[in-house]
Amino acid sequence: MNPGAKVAAIVLDTGRELAYRKTLLFYFGIVTLTHLFLLLALQTDVANGVITSIRLFGLEGSVHGFGGRAAEGMGLEANQLVRGIQIAVTWTLYPIGVMLAVFATASLVPHMLEKGTIDLLLSKPVSRPVLFVSRYLGALLVAGANLFYFVGGVGVILAIKTGVWNGGFFLSGLLMTVYFGALLAFLVLIGVLLRSTTIGIMSAAAVYFVSLIVAFPHANADWPALLTSKPARWGTQAVVEVLYHALPRTLELGNMVTALVMQRPVASWMPVAWTIVSGAGALLLAIAWFRRCDF
Amino acid sequence: MPLPPRRTAPSEPPVAMALVAEGLSKTYRSGVGRRPVQALDRLDLKVPRGVVFGLLGPNGAGKTTLVKVALGIARATAGRAELLGRPAGDVPIRARIGYLPENHRYPAHLSGEQVLHFFGRLSGLAEPDRSRRVEHLLRRVRMDEWRTTPVRRYSKGMMQRLGMAQAILNEPDLLILDEPTDGVDPVGRREIRDLLLEQKERGATIFLNSHLLSEVERLCDRVAILKGGRLVREGHVEDLTRGGAVNVWEIDVQGGDDARLAAVMGPAALRPAGPPPLPGAAAVAREGGAAVRDGVRTLEVSGETEDLNRAIDALRAAGLTIAAVRARRESLEDVFVKIVRDGEAA
Repeated sequence: MNPGAKVAAIVLDTGRELAYRKTLLFYFGIVTLTHLFLLLALQTDVANGVITSIRLFGLEGSVHGFGGRAAEGMGLEANQLVRGIQIAVTWTLYPIGVMLAVFATASLVPHMLEKGTIDLLLSKPVSRPVLFVSRYLGALLVAGANLFYFVGGVGVILAIKTGVWNGGFFLSGLLMTVYFGALLAFLVLIGVLLRSTTIGIMSAAAVYFVSLIVAFPHANADWPALLTSKPARWGTQAVVEVLYHALPRTLELGNMVTALVMQRPVASWMPVAWTIVSGAGALLLAIAWFRRCDF
Repeated sequence: MPLPPRRTAPSEPPVAMALVAEGLSKTYRSGVGRRPVQALDRLDLKVPRGVVFGLLGPNGAGKTTLVKVALGIARATAGRAELLGRPAGDVPIRARIGYLPENHRYPAHLSGEQVLHFFGRLSGLAEPDRSRRVEHLLRRVRMDEWRTTPVRRYSKGMMQRLGMAQAILNEPDLLILDEPTDGVDPVGRREIRDLLLEQKERGATIFLNSHLLSEVERLCDRVAILKGGRLVREGHVEDLTRGGAVNVWEIDVQGGDDARLAAVMGPAALRPAGPPPLPGAAAVAREGGAAVRDGVRTLEVSGETEDLNRAIDALRAAGLTIAAVRARRESLEDVFVKIVRDGEAA
């Protein structure tokens, strides 16, 4: 049997375990409701790229420029409507999706390391790195599939209703998957170090918020001047820079998602690369630790 | 119905030993300020292929640690270990090993059948072999009816039966079992014993770790006793339970009296036979030197088998009736307790 079949077996088992936990199923339910809402409740009429009428649950919209006849030059473009809906949806469902994915996947590594479970797994002809990476991949694929379902569904439904295809929205979904991949790497690192689901969730939240916070002092070169003591200035500056470079680029990716959905140019794709590097570093550390653990 | 023959790899030179440990030590260090625990202390052990080998010892003796170090689940602090000629922790050799750990846990979201398929895939079993073996083993361990039931609903006995199926799924050359009959009723224990004997017939080496000494005594060819991470006794079960360098038999003789026995056997026949009588055995009386109960005298004969046969021939020639002949031996439990609790020297 080829090694890929063993990886596939672990990935499939991880997916089954996540489905069993129902957290991601709950997210799937929320996304499906969103799709149904957009599909059934939102009705639009579009002429020459302009929304001529919009109805929500059968109720006619009353915003200026709506209502049957588009006033010349005042109509809401279908593009704007689509982007507006997509931004609203991403600002709510992306954070919820990432949060639910963290809740669902936080226990994967601690459960795997439980006595009796890990003994059976390590007695099989599968190396520790393969076992660990397969588990990580399984979690990432399931979370990614949920995000793909969300993004794909919203994008396609709005495109059918308005004729507008927003490639940036689909790309933003990919960006979110990359971000979750990096966050998941930190989650599994904490999982293998401390073997605790609760601490894993708290650590993922800490990574999210700290990475968000340190982006501001990093972007503002003048803030150290607020500290009068040189050692304090250097110390805090060092801490900020280390954290900024070690953690995923949460703020920058959030800005990139907004820019992509709003079809504005993205200044630089480096935050994506750095986020991937950050995640890869955490994952490699986790694998190295897992390799030397006694069970 | 027997399993289909296993496809073997191109011929490899046969390995004489299933498990080898040389100077094997393992120290667990569990955090700052805590005293390290010496789980294995320069252990030397060799387990030949094709035997049923029992590993005994009190709690904390290092039995499970030995298995884990050999499999690579834990790493040795010093020394070396080999499984089937490969160094401890070697990944490919695990395809020829079956392992049932104590307190094993399966993914709760899987059914019994799914568990076997999952571990079968990890062991490298491809279709259609895997499905054939899963089908066979589910019937063999009487789990066919429960194949689609989630394992979280299984009883302890069902978990053990499924565990046995999982361990032998890949027809291992070496089967390592840690308390396989733990929590299993007598019928289930008998079934597991039969399953193990089938594996032995197939040529597998069985390495058994159990606190049920009666089971070990029944199943095992050889045993090793660990204490404090060290080997304190090792050998064939028969030799360990003989209780001494000399064979001793007890012969129950009906008819005759002490004088007649002395004439047949010599004055040695009048030496008191056997260990002190059990409490409440009021029927046992001592007349002269031979233990007497209900007209049956118990004599002891020591030496080789020829001595026993000569004694029997002499008694029969004298017209005496032989009611029973027993080899006097200690139980494995007696030996174990003496070594472990009383500190009898190896």
